[in-house]
Amino acid sequence: MNEILRMSLLLASGCKVTLEIFAVTLILSIPLGLLLAIGRISSIKPLNKAVEIYNWIMRGTPLMLQLLFVYFALPSFGITLPDVAAALLAFVLNYAAYFAEIFRAGIQSIPKGQYEAAKTLGFTYSQTMQKIIVPQMIKRVLPPIGNETITLVKDTSLVYVLAMNDLLRAARTIVQREFDMTPFFIAAVFYLIMTFVVTRVFARLEEHYAKYEE
Amino acid sequence: MSEYMIKVEQLKKNFGALKVLKGIDMELKKGDVVAIIGPSGGGKSTFLRCLNRLETVDAGTISIEGEYLVQNGTYVNAEKSRQICSRMGMCFQQFNLFPHMTVLQNLMAAPITVKHVPKNVIEPEARELLKKVGLASKADYYPNQLSGGQQQRVAIARALAMQPDIMLFDEPTSSLDPELTGEVLKTMKDLADGNMTMVVVTHEMGFAKEVADQVVFMADGYVQEKGTSEEVFGHAKNERLQSFLSSIIR
Repeated sequence: MNEILRMSLLLASGCKVTLEIFAVTLILSIPLGLLLAIGRISSIKPLNKAVEIYNWIMRGTPLMLQLLFVYFALPSFGITLPDVAAALLAFVLNYAAYFAEIFRAGIQSIPKGQYEAAKTLGFTYSQTMQKIIVPQMIKRVLPPIGNETITLVKDTSLVYVLAMNDLLRAARTIVQREFDMTPFFIAAVFYLIMTFVVTRVFARLEEHYAKYEE
Repeated sequence: MSEYMIKVEQLKKNFGALKVLKGIDMELKKGDVVAIIGPSGGGKSTFLRCLNRLETVDAGTISIEGEYLVQNGTYVNAEKSRQICSRMGMCFQQFNLFPHMTVLQNLMAAPITVKHVPKNVIEPEARELLKKVGLASKADYYPNQLSGGQQQRVAIARALAMQPDIMLFDEPTSSLDPELTGEVLKTMKDLADGNMTMVVVTHEMGFAKEVADQVVFMADGYVQEKGTSEEVFGHAKNERLQSFLSSIIR
């Protein structure tokens, strides 16, 4: 039992890195994703097209490849980032593309009548988006956003390839040093706790938005 | 100042190759209530939607109290156009209330966001409007907790909160059962009695007969006949109108 406690404490420092990547990615990629979604449905053709290509590249190549690119290839273009910043850059750019597509679908699912009602009341396009469309979109996209967020918890383990001391690497280090598989189980429990919390948070959000029906 | 609140001349609108409006003329004085009747696909709703620019016209002229919205197919600039359209409130067949806002918030959203009226000023006004449409007790309900008739009355109040000079109604009772239709029509009649200028696309012949100063029969993209309700319902000259009226016997 003492043994498990000792290992858990060692893994907790790995958790810190994992949670940091998780939180920062979420906080930055959601607003960026929303901006991309609005660009994607914009009537300005070049902007629309640019976002489409961006989303295609980000969703069409492995996140691990993107991580390696930012970490190893960018320095050869004269851009050298600290470890954590490099990982965060790749995560934020990648997740923003996924969130963008979810937001776009959500925005486009709002009936045309909402835009028309807003227009006849004098709302500009940006006021309509801010006050009418996006608030309704949030309720609709909560389930897929929740899904994506759970995936993010686990995707943080990809920083393993950058030799960052996240939860997974911390476990692996102990396993290799002590020839004991227990840290893997403890790591699994940590991941499960994190995804459980995320699931609960989204369940609460869905309850909150259940106050109105469409 | 023009003597007409709304003046429409030779309005034309196509959807691709389909000519929906083929040259509509209409004149309304302040306080006039015009009912537009006619078969589906005849252009009634499209005409109404052209008035406040939910659809753009291809040719013709629309002026509101002497100010051009569109002159011979050319629109005034966006700012001017928004200003003119903001004088018209609109109610839709599907109500189109904002589902994520309470009834009171629905009424206050546009005044606060568009006109920057402070909340403490608009709230009593909004509550007063709700009282006027008989829904004072529903202020904190969400739209889907209301019946269709109540929702449409909220929609009317929401439009009125922007203090429009003209109200446009696009088949406001077509998705309501007869009982609920009655309460909405009564609200509209009150509005007409209060000297609101109204354009109403409707299938409610009773309303057209009783409330409208002018009845316009529109079919195949033309105004086939117009006049007082007595002229249109009592002495229909146009063949198309005669067959329309005989098919709906009331």
